[in-house]
Amino acid sequence: MRNIVEVQNLCVKFGDFFAVKDVSFAVTYGEIFGFLGANGAGKTTTIRVICGLTHATSGEVIIAGEHFIKGKEDIIKANVGYMSQRFTLYNDLTIKENLDFAATTHNVSRKDLQRNKSDLFDLIQFNKKESSLVSELPSGIKQQVALVAALIHQPKLVVLDEPTAGVSPVSRAYFWELIRKLTKMNKTVFVTTHYMDEAENCDRIALMRSGELIAIGTVPELKNNTFSTQMYNITPKKPLINDDAESISRLCLLFEPYGIHYHVVLKHDADITSLEDKCYVEKVNPSLEDVFIKLVEGDR
Amino acid sequence: MIKMRRVLSIFRKEIYHIVRDPFTLIMALVMPVIMVLMFGSAVEFNVQNVATTYIDESKTPSSLTFLNLLGSSKYFQLTSTDNIFSGYKRMEREQAKALIIIPPTFEYDVLGNNTGHIQILLDGTDNTAIGAIGGYIGFVQAKACSEICKITEHSTVKLVPKFLFNPELNSQWFIVPGLAAVVMAILSILLTALTISREWERGSMELLLSTPVRPLEIVVGKIMPYAILGLVSVIVVYIVARTFYSVPFVGSHLVFFCGTILFLFAYLGLGLLVSTVVRNQQAAVQIAMAVGLMPSMLFSGFIFALEHMPFVFKCIATIFPARWYVTIARDQFLKGSSLQDLWLPFTALSISAYFIVQLCVAKFKRTLEQ
Repeated sequence: MRNIVEVQNLCVKFGDFFAVKDVSFAVTYGEIFGFLGANGAGKTTTIRVICGLTHATSGEVIIAGEHFIKGKEDIIKANVGYMSQRFTLYNDLTIKENLDFAATTHNVSRKDLQRNKSDLFDLIQFNKKESSLVSELPSGIKQQVALVAALIHQPKLVVLDEPTAGVSPVSRAYFWELIRKLTKMNKTVFVTTHYMDEAENCDRIALMRSGELIAIGTVPELKNNTFSTQMYNITPKKPLINDDAESISRLCLLFEPYGIHYHVVLKHDADITSLEDKCYVEKVNPSLEDVFIKLVEGDR
Repeated sequence: MIKMRRVLSIFRKEIYHIVRDPFTLIMALVMPVIMVLMFGSAVEFNVQNVATTYIDESKTPSSLTFLNLLGSSKYFQLTSTDNIFSGYKRMEREQAKALIIIPPTFEYDVLGNNTGHIQILLDGTDNTAIGAIGGYIGFVQAKACSEICKITEHSTVKLVPKFLFNPELNSQWFIVPGLAAVVMAILSILLTALTISREWERGSMELLLSTPVRPLEIVVGKIMPYAILGLVSVIVVYIVARTFYSVPFVGSHLVFFCGTILFLFAYLGLGLLVSTVVRNQQAAVQIAMAVGLMPSMLFSGFIFALEHMPFVFKCIATIFPARWYVTIARDQFLKGSSLQDLWLPFTALSISAYFIVQLCVAKFKRTLEQ
């Protein structure tokens, strides 16, 4: 399978601090690639390198077969559409003005702009007036228009940095529907998110911790590799006091609160009986959140 | 290679921001008018109607003639007082700036010995006023000699001062042309620094840089609308100066325009420099005011004459473009010197504008590429 993104031994150093340390991974054409990690893990720095906003200290970044070197920035940037979490659209400009501006900065001709805009409006089923000011749009619609702006130059790779932050659950679900549609249009989506339920939609996921890549694979692969033994969902029969919680945690490899329940992985399956005295126990499959907690935050 | 289509796109976007942002429009169009009206009306170097109190212990035709001479000029507003204590009290209460004491023997001394003495006490807390009063007193003294002692001057050397370019020493004529420098300095630095720090603050600069747009295209596209705004503000200052204060313009509009463009570039560059140092709007406003307002007021000769400054400050003043632009603006309004005559301010302004723009573009580019 061909790769659209190839990151090889990427290091980014700010002073003495390694923001990204020897990271290597590849993203294949047409996949939804999730990039997860706690704050400060090095996700944003890696994204900034892929989008040409930060220079790598060492290592290589290849986008659509082009090495990210001086003089080739334009070719690479033409293949990347970036939607940042911090900023989406200019509020005091209309939808049309925002899209025209995004298109011109990417050297899209007037003719292509009309065609691309019409295709993308069809994709998001857009029915608002183009003359509406962005400040008047609901946040969900604003995100969709921002996605159109990121795609207006028909990039092969779309980098979405927490695209659904601050958006209602309904809009989030719809936005992910759009992301899936994009892959059908031969786009590759590189996405970061803090919502683990959303991340389950990704074809593959990479997990970052302290600037290093600690795991990569499909969602089932990550779950199986992280938890080789059975996971249980336990619900205490009465509220756990400190001593109870401590005695249970001593039996477990993993003991994590999960809403009003706990997700546990026992050191020995035989301990299940002592657990059943205090809790209702049921077998569950680990969620991506469990994987995230175990890998990214487990050592904290 | 700079692409004009992208530059124009940024330019157009900035115009939308400006047109839809009342703050920017008010800053560009209303602030110059307010500043010209405020400075033009409030700053007055020609001191008139100075509150003056007097004690006439002589009460003779000679003392009356002297007092009439003082009172008939527009410079003094006379009120009598009973004794030196009440006169001193009036000065303490800020009711008088000067106390004139004519002794009882005044007429006798003048007519008998030709050496009449009048004591004048001046309020030393107000340098500006007393400097002017000193000058007027000398003028009155000469007239008094002529009228009281009937002394007519037969001197072979007669000094007759005439004031060129501003015959009436009109303060507005002196102040208002220099205001163009102050207004443009504030506007260019503030608006440029604000527009770029705003992009940093809301994160849009990052998005902009993820496109093929070059840093230089951002700089040019962003500066152009504010350069136009700066020019508009100079035109506003010009119109108000000509209509409200009847300030003449005897120079060449082309020379004035060239100086203005050079000055604008220098200060827009400084605005860029501020935007590379700070990335939030509040800090940008504070630094812009400090960098834009202070030097253009203090080190430009706009209000305080540079000739009377200590040598060190004179040297410091030369690095500020405002110092040279005020010279050009004032000259073109009142004197009308040619470009050759103004070679020094133009050369200095060109050099400073060139270095500031070079420095700022380089620093801006480095900051963006970090």
